[in-house]
Amino acid sequence: MRAFLGVDLGSTTTKAVLLDEKGGILGRGLTNTRANFETACAVARAEALADARFGLLAEPARSGARRAYHRAERGRRLEHLRARTLLLADDDARLQVAASRLFEALAKLASAEDGAVSFRDAVAEAAATAAEAVATAAGVPYERLMSALERALVADEADPTALDPDAVLDEIGVPAGERVPVDVAAQSGTGYGRHRLPFAPGEIRSEILCHGLGASHAFPGTRTVLDIGGQDTKAIQLDERGLVTSFQMNDRCAAGCGRYLGYVAEELGVGLPDLAPLALSAHCPSRINSTCTVFAGAEIRERLALGERREDVVAGLHRAIVLRALGLLARAGGVHSPLTFSGGVARNEAVVRSLRDELSRHYRDVAVNVSTDSIFNGAVGAALFALRETAAC
Amino acid sequence: MLTVGIDVGSAAVKVAVLRHAVAPETAALEVERYRRRPAASVVTHALDAALARAGARTEDVAYIATTGEGDLAPRRHGHFYGMTSHARGALLLEPRARGVLDCGALHARAIRIDARGRVLGYRMTSQCASGSGQFVENIARYLGVALEDVGRLSLGSDSAEPVSSICAVLAETDVINMVARGVPAPAILRGIHRSIAGRLSKLLRLAGVESPIVVTGGMAADEGLIGALRDQVATGKLGLEIVAPERAVFAGALGAALWGAHRAARVQGDSRKEMLHVHG
Repeated sequence: MRAFLGVDLGSTTTKAVLLDEKGGILGRGLTNTRANFETACAVARAEALADARFGLLAEPARSGARRAYHRAERGRRLEHLRARTLLLADDDARLQVAASRLFEALAKLASAEDGAVSFRDAVAEAAATAAEAVATAAGVPYERLMSALERALVADEADPTALDPDAVLDEIGVPAGERVPVDVAAQSGTGYGRHRLPFAPGEIRSEILCHGLGASHAFPGTRTVLDIGGQDTKAIQLDERGLVTSFQMNDRCAAGCGRYLGYVAEELGVGLPDLAPLALSAHCPSRINSTCTVFAGAEIRERLALGERREDVVAGLHRAIVLRALGLLARAGGVHSPLTFSGGVARNEAVVRSLRDELSRHYRDVAVNVSTDSIFNGAVGAALFALRETAAC
Repeated sequence: MLTVGIDVGSAAVKVAVLRHAVAPETAALEVERYRRRPAASVVTHALDAALARAGARTEDVAYIATTGEGDLAPRRHGHFYGMTSHARGALLLEPRARGVLDCGALHARAIRIDARGRVLGYRMTSQCASGSGQFVENIARYLGVALEDVGRLSLGSDSAEPVSSICAVLAETDVINMVARGVPAPAILRGIHRSIAGRLSKLLRLAGVESPIVVTGGMAADEGLIGALRDQVATGKLGLEIVAPERAVFAGALGAALWGAHRAARVQGDSRKEMLHVHG
């Protein structure tokens, strides 16, 4: 099967998608970018390829293969992580004990079948709840244990090895005749780190064009695109043919980006996935005065100390992101219906709800479209460029 | 007479106990970071610890003065504005001081003062935490460097890696990439100190601060930052002298304790005149 690869190397996560010749999504890959861009690209690509291979199988082999792959991948990485953490702790017997106990508590992650949370986040969250008790029992400072784990996670993410999908298919007994090979006919890349992708110069595309194209593909007729990623926000205007007419981008300040929510989640001691449900349960969102992410962190502490409800404060933070995005949209030429909301933050339901509320307050009749593949928007745009190039030849 | 100054900052609470004889003498100093505990309990804890160290009880203290965000503090007699306290504290630490650079966890302030510690003018960072103490703390945490080692490592580096991001949160990504490129931690720290010093020297210029300048606040203990600051303002046109006293982190608390003593003395004087202008 011929497939077209698009890679969006973001500052926080790297996304890869494979499209078929009609532009339908065959497979998706998502990994944390961290430090090593080439590795992130290789991992996301391998994941997308495996996902595409499994997606082309008939049920129940398809779901079975995906589950088995996920389980095997988690198990492999957890073992790597354990070995690395113990290595980092080898000069301190008590830290070694604490690290082994911590991994006993983390072992349940290997059987988790929920692929929505990234490995890093799953480990970080599970460790945060288990580490305190483990560290106290072993008589080592909590910070030392978490620091060893954090460094091991960074090292683990620089490890480019990925599972072979055929090994998984062998394991669950899918006959060779039912397997469909996927071959990448063309590729292109975009994103914050696009210039450091291991791609030919002609295969690198502008972020704005990819996001515009991706949004038009998901929702034909899109006139305004709002993309809120981990570390930047883009507001893009398209004409009736889907061509970019203007855009604005904020990549100088973390306020209003995904990282803002990540930072406040840490400040509140709440897992990032739990933030939106908390915000959605609020009745009276606080008005957050600080723009700066760090100041907002301090403001949270003050507000909570003054007795404001957690959910109201959290809802206020979600609203602050939306207000900042509206400012960027205004500078980019306003809001034109229909609007496509994409990027990792578009997966946060509280931001989506707040965006709809604020848009209905400030603009008239704006249709807001959010795809379940919103985080892959840029990668889809890149893959579409690859598809078009090939079709033109 | 004993007076206490409590400086309630955004990262830590600083307490100074002064004994006033011929000249004020420091009886006890105490600093305590919040670590996610409520401010009021940290204030109480630090105050009790400082009093215990000074061998005093609350009722022995003539005046408990707060500064910073000390409105929350229990047992206080009065509150002083942060800048006034830092100015007075800086003069105690360095009697020649004509300028104060208060570098805290979230904000920085450049203050022009006269020989009596009066504030003549100031400039402060407001919109964002770029270049603040919190920023250095975030970076140190990421690099796995203990906060107290940051200054020494930075000073020991021969090179400084330029930092492109000015956002305290996004700089983290910058640092991640530097680590990936194999840039050693000391060079990263030195680059960060250089960029912060650039912002601080601009603040000093805008406030028109004169020499010598006393650096106060938590960042005064970071010798890497002090070194970078001297590199930028000691030489060249500015030619400013930078003083980083050992007890710089307590400048606000010391200043508040001094102002407290001043007010207590007036109240005692006034009580003989039947407490005429207590708050005058």
